[in-house]
Amino acid sequence: MVEGHVTISNLEKVYESGGERTKAIDDLSLEVPSGEFLSVVGPSGCGKSTLLYLIAGFLDESAGTIAVDDVPIDGPGTDRGVVFQDYALFPWRTVMGNVTYGLEQKGVDKKERQDTAQKFINMMDLDGFEDKYPKELSGGMKQRVALARTLAYDPKILLMDEPFGALDQPLREALQDHLLDIWRDLEKTVIFITHDVEEAVYLSERVMIMTRHPGTKKTAVEIDVDRTQPREDIIMSDEYTAMKNDVWQSLREETKPQAQL
Amino acid sequence: MDVGSATFDRSSLVSFAKGTVSLAVVLVLWEVVTQLGMIHYYFLPPLSDILFATDSSFVALTADGTLIYHGYLTVRRALVGLVIATVLGIAVGVLSARSKIMSWFWDPIIEVGYPVPVIALVPVFIFWFGTGDVSKIALVTLGCFWPVAINARNATREVDENLIWSARMMGTSDRELLRRVVVPAAAPGIISGLQIALPISLIITFVFEMVAGGGGLGHIEIQGVRSFDSVQVYASLIAIMILGFALDRALRILRHRLLAWT
Ligand SMILES: Nc1ncnc2c1ncn2[C@@H]1O[C@H](COP(=O)(O)OP(=O)(O)OP(=O)(O)O)[C@@H](O)[C@H]1O
Ligand SMILES: [Mg+2]
Repeated sequence: MVEGHVTISNLEKVYESGGERTKAIDDLSLEVPSGEFLSVVGPSGCGKSTLLYLIAGFLDESAGTIAVDDVPIDGPGTDRGVVFQDYALFPWRTVMGNVTYGLEQKGVDKKERQDTAQKFINMMDLDGFEDKYPKELSGGMKQRVALARTLAYDPKILLMDEPFGALDQPLREALQDHLLDIWRDLEKTVIFITHDVEEAVYLSERVMIMTRHPGTKKTAVEIDVDRTQPREDIIMSDEYTAMKNDVWQSLREETKPQAQL
Repeated sequence: MDVGSATFDRSSLVSFAKGTVSLAVVLVLWEVVTQLGMIHYYFLPPLSDILFATDSSFVALTADGTLIYHGYLTVRRALVGLVIATVLGIAVGVLSARSKIMSWFWDPIIEVGYPVPVIALVPVFIFWFGTGDVSKIALVTLGCFWPVAINARNATREVDENLIWSARMMGTSDRELLRRVVVPAAAPGIISGLQIALPISLIITFVFEMVAGGGGLGHIEIQGVRSFDSVQVYASLIAIMILGFALDRALRILRHRLLAWT
């Protein structure tokens, strides 16, 4: 499957609100091959979310182009699925109703969309909670529903904006490993935003570091580890530590001047 | 378990008693003071006279169908107006929150129209539409339109952008977006608007009936005044209170049903 490859060239985004212009993204070019797991780190306010929402088609670029499989994007599309930091579940729909939403929109018939949704609900260990409303779920459960909802309609590209940021450490690690399994099994392209270097390096094949505001691509570090090993072995290895240090150093150069303020 | 539920029952009974004791004191005081003739009968008859002890008491006028028929007239006018206002108000409110042209057109109108005391328009509506049902329902519609439209508009403006984005990325077209996401997400605010509009619909109907006649509880009340029958005045007041209370309860139950997810 050679689908879901993202090409970003000379992207620029300027927000205009109330006569004030804020340049959030400045001349950013990036190639994300099909099936890659790419993490994006950068100082707060550097434009990570902006970049993600541009790729999602929620925002219009001020200059440059974004193409998926060589076709320039035109607004949001079902080839891309966003997982929001604050989940953005439909509160008036049950877990099942949320996960089937995308399938309803695709016109899948009822039986089939129930079955598909159930598969992803089970995958996320949410069986038994199908009829609960989002308000009845914990943060970790909501995030799993959000992931199931996005996976269910089968976008080629997953766009994730600090999805595990609000979760505690054990849950976070469990969901990270879950995500890695899904990424391997379902062959998705993943663009994953985080401010956590550890998370970025552990999850991805490549980490892009952004400059501070206005953000552009500073550098990218290849993370070449054998992911068939258990987590402990990966994070204890010397290469892993070295790669993590590279990312951390590079990020630190961007955050340092701000930290002194 | 048993001990726990027993204490719970007792404490809830006590709190119920505490909550109603002041009301009971006032009612008993009312009966005693009026029976002793300390207040002129015309101002305030004894509670027992109003409730059942006279020919124009609440029970008597209910039994002979008077209050039921006129209560029906009042409720019908109020609810027909409320329903029309709800349909129009939700449409205008939601659309003016989502569309620049609609907001350009409606925002100033709402700004100016909302604060107008609608009751002051009763004479104007009598000029325009006469004293019949059409006139009353039209004024109820106008009076209820503002709170429904404003609440729908504000609730729609506050719909989380991420929900709209979520729906669009899953393939919801702009046309479907209103029905599938915007209106459900704004529903709590929209229904709050309805809850505000409900008593307004009754007030407008009641006052209009007092001024213009044509039957209805307001008409019955003012008739009581004109024939110096103060018991009838209070009996029709009790009827409108009961109806207002019942309709408010019904709307709350509806809210609870529709918004089980909140
Ligand atoms: N709607 C908006 N209007 C104007 N400026 C905006 C808007 N959204 C973001 N910005 C500005 O654009 C810049 C990038 O914001 P963005 O949210 O993309 O940063 P971020 O990297 O995601 O930050 P964080 O790590 O804190 O989430 C910031 O300077 C921000 O103030
Ligand atoms: Mg962000």
